[in-house]
Amino acid sequence: MSVISLEFIRRRRLAVEVRQQIWLPYRLSIIIGSVLFGLGISVAILLGRGIEISSIYEEFIIFTFFNAAGISAVIVESIPLVLVGLGAAMAFRVNFWNIGIEGQMFLGAIGASIIALFNIGPEFLRLPLMLVFSVLFGMLWALGPALLKVRLKVNEVISTLLLNYIAYYFVLNQLFGPWKDPRDKFPHGEQYENAERLPEIGWEQVHYGVVIVILMVVVVWWVVDRSRFGISSRFVGINPRMALAVGLPVSAITASSALISGGLAGSAGFVIASATEFRLTFTMAAGYGFSGIVIAFLAGSRPIPTLVVAFLMGSLYVAGESMKIFYSLPDALVGLIQAIIVISVIASEFFTRYRLRLAYFGGA
Amino acid sequence: MNTALEFLGVHKSFGENHALVDAFFSVNWGEVHALLGENGAGKSTLMNIASGLYAPDRGVVKISGKAVAIDGPQAASALKIGMIHQHFKLVDNMTVLENIVLRHGKGRWKNSLEKLRKQISEISEQIGFGINPDARVDTLSVSEQQRTEIIKVLLGGAEILILDEPTAVLTDEESARLLDQLKLFSRQGKSIVLITHKLREVFSHADAVTVMRDGKTVDSRRNPKSISPTGLSQLMVGEAKEYENVSYSSPGPLALELKNIRMTRDNGVIALDDFNIRLFSGQIYGLAGVGGNGQTELADILMGVRSANDGCFILLGEELKTPSSKNLRDKGFTCIPAERYLYGLAGDLSVMENRVITHLSSGRFGPFTWVNRRAISQETIKTIEDYNIHGAKPDTRARLLSGGNAQKLVLSRELAGHAKVLLAHSPTRGLDVRACAAVHLALREASQTGCAILLLSEDLDEILAISDRIGVINSGKIVGEFDAPADRQEIGHLMVASSQGTSEE
Amino acid sequence: MDLLTNWLAFTPVFAMPLVAAALGLIINERAGILNLGTEGIMLCGALVGVVGYIEFGDSVALGFISGILAGLVLGFIFGFLVVVMRTNQVVTGITFVILGSGLTGLMGIPWVNKAIAGISPIHIPFLTDIPIIGRFIFGQDLVVYVTIILTISTWYFLYRTRMGLELRAVGENPQAADADGINVEAYRLFAATIGGAFIGLAGAYLALAMAKIFVLDMTQGRGWIAIALVIFARWMPWRVILGGVLFGSIEALIPRLKAIGFPIPQYYLEMTPYLATLAVLIYAAIRVRSGQEAPKALGTPYVRQDRQ
Repeated sequence: MSVISLEFIRRRRLAVEVRQQIWLPYRLSIIIGSVLFGLGISVAILLGRGIEISSIYEEFIIFTFFNAAGISAVIVESIPLVLVGLGAAMAFRVNFWNIGIEGQMFLGAIGASIIALFNIGPEFLRLPLMLVFSVLFGMLWALGPALLKVRLKVNEVISTLLLNYIAYYFVLNQLFGPWKDPRDKFPHGEQYENAERLPEIGWEQVHYGVVIVILMVVVVWWVVDRSRFGISSRFVGINPRMALAVGLPVSAITASSALISGGLAGSAGFVIASATEFRLTFTMAAGYGFSGIVIAFLAGSRPIPTLVVAFLMGSLYVAGESMKIFYSLPDALVGLIQAIIVISVIASEFFTRYRLRLAYFGGA
Repeated sequence: MNTALEFLGVHKSFGENHALVDAFFSVNWGEVHALLGENGAGKSTLMNIASGLYAPDRGVVKISGKAVAIDGPQAASALKIGMIHQHFKLVDNMTVLENIVLRHGKGRWKNSLEKLRKQISEISEQIGFGINPDARVDTLSVSEQQRTEIIKVLLGGAEILILDEPTAVLTDEESARLLDQLKLFSRQGKSIVLITHKLREVFSHADAVTVMRDGKTVDSRRNPKSISPTGLSQLMVGEAKEYENVSYSSPGPLALELKNIRMTRDNGVIALDDFNIRLFSGQIYGLAGVGGNGQTELADILMGVRSANDGCFILLGEELKTPSSKNLRDKGFTCIPAERYLYGLAGDLSVMENRVITHLSSGRFGPFTWVNRRAISQETIKTIEDYNIHGAKPDTRARLLSGGNAQKLVLSRELAGHAKVLLAHSPTRGLDVRACAAVHLALREASQTGCAILLLSEDLDEILAISDRIGVINSGKIVGEFDAPADRQEIGHLMVASSQGTSEE
Repeated sequence: MDLLTNWLAFTPVFAMPLVAAALGLIINERAGILNLGTEGIMLCGALVGVVGYIEFGDSVALGFISGILAGLVLGFIFGFLVVVMRTNQVVTGITFVILGSGLTGLMGIPWVNKAIAGISPIHIPFLTDIPIIGRFIFGQDLVVYVTIILTISTWYFLYRTRMGLELRAVGENPQAADADGINVEAYRLFAATIGGAFIGLAGAYLALAMAKIFVLDMTQGRGWIAIALVIFARWMPWRVILGGVLFGSIEALIPRLKAIGFPIPQYYLEMTPYLATLAVLIYAAIRVRSGQEAPKALGTPYVRQDRQ
């Protein structure tokens, strides 16, 4: 390294270059570092609102993790988050930006509610039927945008999003109208009977949704990592032109992935309706769409990391809930924290994907 | 000071890829200096430093003896350096005039337009380029686009002109014209750097030649005639390689037939016009032609990426109404695409995944429900050995392979399926002589096992070397067919004739 | 008759935010930047517009300026992230939507649900009173007329100035623009910032003119509709007005229909703008014509040192 002198500095310029190889431990540490950085900023905001650091520590760490009730609350909260995370991941892997997760959740809940409201099927089959229908309805809501993308190249970000609003208004229509609870005349659906509620497994508040989640994680892992479909879809996601040229059924793979994504979101709708709300409501999907996207993004669209990230996200929710109640913080807080963390992570990707170099020009 | 541009001790790496290692180069004023080397030798990289696109890791660049720091295209242009890249830097949906304004526009819009329009006409006349300033760039021929680039660079007052493989996209006639023009420029005192890998040009027009290999400068001399073509070749590759004389095989049954194919481009121009071709098993059919006469469209149709507007596509006796890449491959058709990173590989995925992706459905690597990774890995290791693919392990990312090795990977995948019909589109573009030979050998072996091969290439030498039958495509039609060995001159004439509406010679 | 007059009169009010945001997006996209965070920036523009209005003593002008500045700042931050830090434009955009919602939800509490007088339409004696179309043409607020001027200016800038040419080149072929000595990063940052200002203006109008109040999440998808509008308008400024009027008329119709007790259930009526957007997207996709396509380099970051 030459002597630092003015000449030395003047002859060097900052250049941005693409890194050719990215070392995994380096990448992981950058991601973790940026998450912590984002959390740090969020904590700063909370401190700015007059909350003391000790109570943040208590709420976030102690009550959430070192406490059976806390952990159980986190698990319960994470269950739908894993499902939407997996759903988002399945779509993102093939570059299908499914922003319509909330709409698909609504449709899933609608599907489940139809079974519940009309008492379709014998009681012991009720829950499985509800699950199946929720998945089907969720897929249905993703079908339109999927077809529009592969046939007409309509941008799926907008089409899935518009369907969110349409689903939402449809639910409102039903809940203020034909499906209004006859008992209390409130705009939420009739309560589910016992046969239509996911039972608890016996430990704290955790319910059988956790079984569904584990099942889905295994299924998604198998599809992504071990099936032909999974490997082919990796090509579709990374180089769609090449995939097309080598004869992979790109449209079919894209559409199928979108449908699976919708189905997973639909199952999340079922789980919330059946295990938490015990009825169809119009607030049930709020925030899950973006959470799913964030989870999938941070997990690199891979199934096992999705599980981990969803769990962490669940803890954020739980801690956020209690802080909301105790310090009357607005709902928007959790969303804001999520946004800050994501921005922090994507900004940090700059350091993994590119390299800043001092380029040397000039004389002997 | 007679030295115009000089590089000393230049190093440049892209990650693990050492593109330039202690490279040196110097060109004088009033000289046409050929920079020779195979692809990957570092020629383009070195000149991209001069044009301000790359920053060197180490080393000195001097203009007229003074050390300079070229930190961007603006700086290069201020130093009177003008580069014509292999991939033109033109905005397709804007006119020639607009593109020039982008480069040289100053001050108010209207004034810029008029001033530059005049300047374009002047220079155009001076050097005999007939360019319509209001034509949209994407309607121009490749040669006309190149001329636009040259005008752009001259208007900037460039005294040092660097051209990167300029004749790669031109006909023999256009090449000659361009080279003569460049010679004229050098007589006017300008300094011309001609990056090329065509030995012919070195001997016909260059005043000096520098040879690069593997990022290093291997030799530099002021009189190209002081060394023989074989000698130069040896410097470029380190050992002499000649195309073997092969015995030509007689054809088997008809494998693929295209009848009356018609295809128009998006802008209405007819690309393929009543195109007919027949490919026979065990025969290599080389299709010669200047780029832009329908080859890309033909390749797209054969790859199943696009459909013809009209005509019959008959593969192994069966007419395909809507050939898609999937059903083409199912029926035994495969291809080696021209752009290997675009259509041949998924750069961010591993070598082993790229190796087997088209073979998954055969069942060799496990059923639909459970892919056998161990089998894939073993197969990949075997392929790496057989094809001598450097720098690759099964889990290496494909984008890290150099051009030649990447092409070998594509080749190994496509040939492993024992296809009945193969399209090889510019299979050796950008490969060094060793890799070229490997590819040609593999293709001949494939044809010997009964595969019908269509070779689309703009390298006439390649076509002449390995084809059993040669056709010439011009303006979307086959204008001549010959059995090997064929007359190069005759083929050359057919390639150029009637494309400008002039009568045939 | 009254229905018709009111409907026409209010159409520009509903159209304006879409048009303004779409113009901002056109400038963005012509330079190659896809700003999916429009919804969030618009929301912030709305809140800051109201904050400025209230805090500067019920000043319409300062309210609008505040909203525009908010959009400008957010646009710049977005631009910095996607251009300099080269983040993925889709993810960054979606994050900005939530950022906008989160920021306004957290910071906006003191100003939420405070009804304001806002801006009023002009009244030209005789002209504004022309039956049916009088208010439509001569009875709008100043900002609507300003928006029309903005549309013309945007067109002029993009197609009749050298800067506009260079900006468009950056979006079509950044390698070529760079080789021509054009500063790609600077133009993209500029486009993101100015685009953000337009979107902030749209948001401020929502709060100060249309609703005359700030309510949480009041944009209700208009940012996304603006994005769709740009596709429908094939990236041409004058067509944006056409699309804006179309959507504005749909949105303006809904309250009129509700008022007269139109026999379609309320929530289905609310769905119509979104259904219409979907229809428009499908229509635009079917009628793709060459020469009116998206800028080629839309959404991709540019790195000069990338192996070419």
